Amino acid sequence: MAAHTAEIGGHALDADALARVAAALTAIVGERHVLRRPSALRVYDSDGLPGYHRQPALAVLPGTRDELVAVVRALAAEGAPFVARGAGTGLSGGSLADGIVVVGLNRLNRIVSIDAENALAVVEPGVVNVTLTRAVAPYGLHYAPDPSSQSACTIGGNVAENAGGPHCLKYGVTLNHVAAVTVLLPSGEIVTLGDADGEDDGYDLLGAFVGSEGCFGIALDVTVRLARDPQAVRTLLADFADMDDAARAVSRIIAAGIVPAALEMMDGAAIRAVEASIYAAGYPTDAAAILLCELDGLAAGLDEDAARVAALCRAEGARDVAVASDAAQRARLWQGRKKAFGAMGRIAPHLVLQDAVVPRTRLPAVLARIAEIGASHGVRIGNVFHAGDGNLHPNISYDAHDADESARVHAAMSEVMQACIDAGGTITGEHGVGLDKRDYMDALFDAPSLAAMCRLRDVFDPERRANPGKVVPVHACREWHATPAVRRHAGAAS
Amino acid sequence: MTTAATAPETLPLFGAPRDEPETAALVREAASRGTRLRLVGGGTWAGGGRPVRADATLRLSALHGIVDYVPGDLTLTARAGTPLSEIARVTAAERQLLALDPFGDAAGTIGATVATASVGPLAHAFGGPRDNVLGLAFVTGTGDVVRAGGRVVKNVAGFDLVRLLTGAWGTLGALTEVSVRLRALPEVDATVAVALPSVRELDAWLARLRAASLAAWALELVNAPLATQLDAGDRALLLARLAGNASAVDAQRATLATLGDLRELPPDVWARLRGCEPADAIVARISARPSRLAALCAELFAPAARAFGLMAHASVTRGVVRFVLPGADGFGMPRASAPATDAPPVRRVLERAPAALWPMLAADWSAPRATDALSRRVRAAFDPHGLLNPGAMDAPDAGPAASS
Repeated sequence: MAAHTAEIGGHALDADALARVAAALTAIVGERHVLRRPSALRVYDSDGLPGYHRQPALAVLPGTRDELVAVVRALAAEGAPFVARGAGTGLSGGSLADGIVVVGLNRLNRIVSIDAENALAVVEPGVVNVTLTRAVAPYGLHYAPDPSSQSACTIGGNVAENAGGPHCLKYGVTLNHVAAVTVLLPSGEIVTLGDADGEDDGYDLLGAFVGSEGCFGIALDVTVRLARDPQAVRTLLADFADMDDAARAVSRIIAAGIVPAALEMMDGAAIRAVEASIYAAGYPTDAAAILLCELDGLAAGLDEDAARVAALCRAEGARDVAVASDAAQRARLWQGRKKAFGAMGRIAPHLVLQDAVVPRTRLPAVLARIAEIGASHGVRIGNVFHAGDGNLHPNISYDAHDADESARVHAAMSEVMQACIDAGGTITGEHGVGLDKRDYMDALFDAPSLAAMCRLRDVFDPERRANPGKVVPVHACREWHATPAVRRHAGAAS
Repeated sequence: MTTAATAPETLPLFGAPRDEPETAALVREAASRGTRLRLVGGGTWAGGGRPVRADATLRLSALHGIVDYVPGDLTLTARAGTPLSEIARVTAAERQLLALDPFGDAAGTIGATVATASVGPLAHAFGGPRDNVLGLAFVTGTGDVVRAGGRVVKNVAGFDLVRLLTGAWGTLGALTEVSVRLRALPEVDATVAVALPSVRELDAWLARLRAASLAAWALELVNAPLATQLDAGDRALLLARLAGNASAVDAQRATLATLGDLRELPPDVWARLRGCEPADAIVARISARPSRLAALCAELFAPAARAFGLMAHASVTRGVVRFVLPGADGFGMPRASAPATDAPPVRRVLERAPAALWPMLAADWSAPRATDALSRRVRAAFDPHGLLNPGAMDAPDAGPAASS
């Protein structure tokens, strides 16, 4: 958000370099897949976070693995910085390219192989998340990470952001479901990280790569672990007149030794936005908060667990707890949650959505503090989030063209993030730091820790050409953010 | 090329810091003198891993104690030298546990568990240290104190130094503090044993087991000599740890009973499994995709294994067979001959062997860990002078590395 004005850093290519890059890339992928006209580049000027717009110099759309390798090698030969991009559903400004090259990966969308016996699949980076789950459904398998954007986002993007989703409470984030990645380093070299065939006992470079936000290289292919479909599922909707009660119920359920597949909370404003939209799920519109709790696993014992969750919710003050009676009702309850942010588009032209995590026991206090911050700035902060993980998504619907309102929204969100940090939390649980949250990193890490992150990045990308200017604050790592290309073209950098 | 590591007990003590600043000061001092350090916590891994060639020992066991434990958050932070047994005692009082159960005795520390990325049977359900560590602090080879990750269960802020340090065997930094996620204990936590079929029938049996509806915390095969060692009879077994409410556990018992004779075992069988190996044993692991597990087990689970007292156990889902050969002479060591060229890949790791035998065994058993360019650059970025546990991530000294 500060970040309407945040500098990515001057990395822009000069006209001569750009002409040479364009010619080299056109020779590889053909005229049609190199975009240079401003109108064609318009779709690449922002990601899922409105408010930031940066114009890339060029977008290249390789159609095969070989073309992608050739593209990156051509960029390396020219010393050109680039940003790899999947579906652009990211929510942290992480795929913005300010005057540099966008490498679009959507055409690399093949599912290369499925090994159902070992529950593994190899996919290209542009495969859409839900497409993989549909492809492996006949084997009784699914791909567990399920961000709300799963019908659009790509596996490559999920790997870059270490994406989560409602079901990561029980099943873990992307990192827990990736066995190996073939990585194209910014230098053009190809390395395999991890090992799908057995134990890999070197440094956990795969662990370092997953979640590196496009700063370490591009995944040529990803070997993912698939999850077996549960025998049975129960979805419960608990309705609270008080948000604190709902927050306390979350801790009670987790501490009881029950691990829900998902445990989601929505506040009254979000409920009413959903119910007024085409995604209406039958949520109680007079509730202060609802908890959507999904239990899955063995059929035996599941009803007992569901009854226990219902009893714990009632003990914390739930007015009602309903259990979805069939798959259609369950899908409807989930659609309301997954499309909640889309439904808010009706309220105002812009939505700012944050991603912070607090210890579960601090949820009631932090939610109260968020409401206070909103009131003090005259903005209404909504909450739709992964309560079981303490992963908050405070959001504000507003009009970005209203300078006064924008300023108040910005001030409120900054205070919210600080409140989450003060509560022992962190600034992102699943959306990444990108550009949007880069300036909060100082509040979380001291200088030697940020410098250590820069050193890790340098291992993969010593020339600092992959997604430059993101994740680590510029002042913490000035040398890192200043790419060799910039140093060569210092005049153009300012 | 040197051929043997210096035994840790013969190394002079460089220091035994009591806190993080002291640790950093000592590492800086070592860096200024060029003193190579062997990092030691509880000492349980002294004979494990690749031989370390160091000039002195830095003892980290005084970095001890639980710093923060919030049962409602299911998170805990402890200094790296804190024994797992102490964490287990404190969390059990709240009906919680840290789901890391590496092999070795209970004196093993949380720092060594993370540094070696050691896993035990609970990895079936909960993964290893990389899946359970939320944050950590470490002192780099230049004496910088670095903090990574945090104390919340979900966190993607910044580049992932937590995963990088996990399993780095101390070669990127000396761990000083670790934050972990905990699990709540279930209503019922039962351990059962099911007799295994013959090695010939094992493949089909394992396929049925993998397809069965189970929500086990651990599914571990043990060969007959190990079953005997565990006082669990004299036949090869599946050990299953079943967790959940009473209905769920009963249903799983019934499912397993369709696979063979089932009996209840006392829960301490898991502790005995963790402590099964004598101090002078040779320990190694073989792994492949889980569908290859029966083939991996063929030799180690065959009746002939008994002649050498070779104990073996295997994780059903992870496809890893670990075996223990009592005695330090290597007699009876299974042949690690390369599989037929059209066979799927097999990975081998030598976990523990006498320093004198290491070079000979390592040629067959431990492919180079960290010899690729990226890994060398990682090492140089965090320990540019190569002072911390030198050798612990290196290729074997003797012979060509096994490539599988």
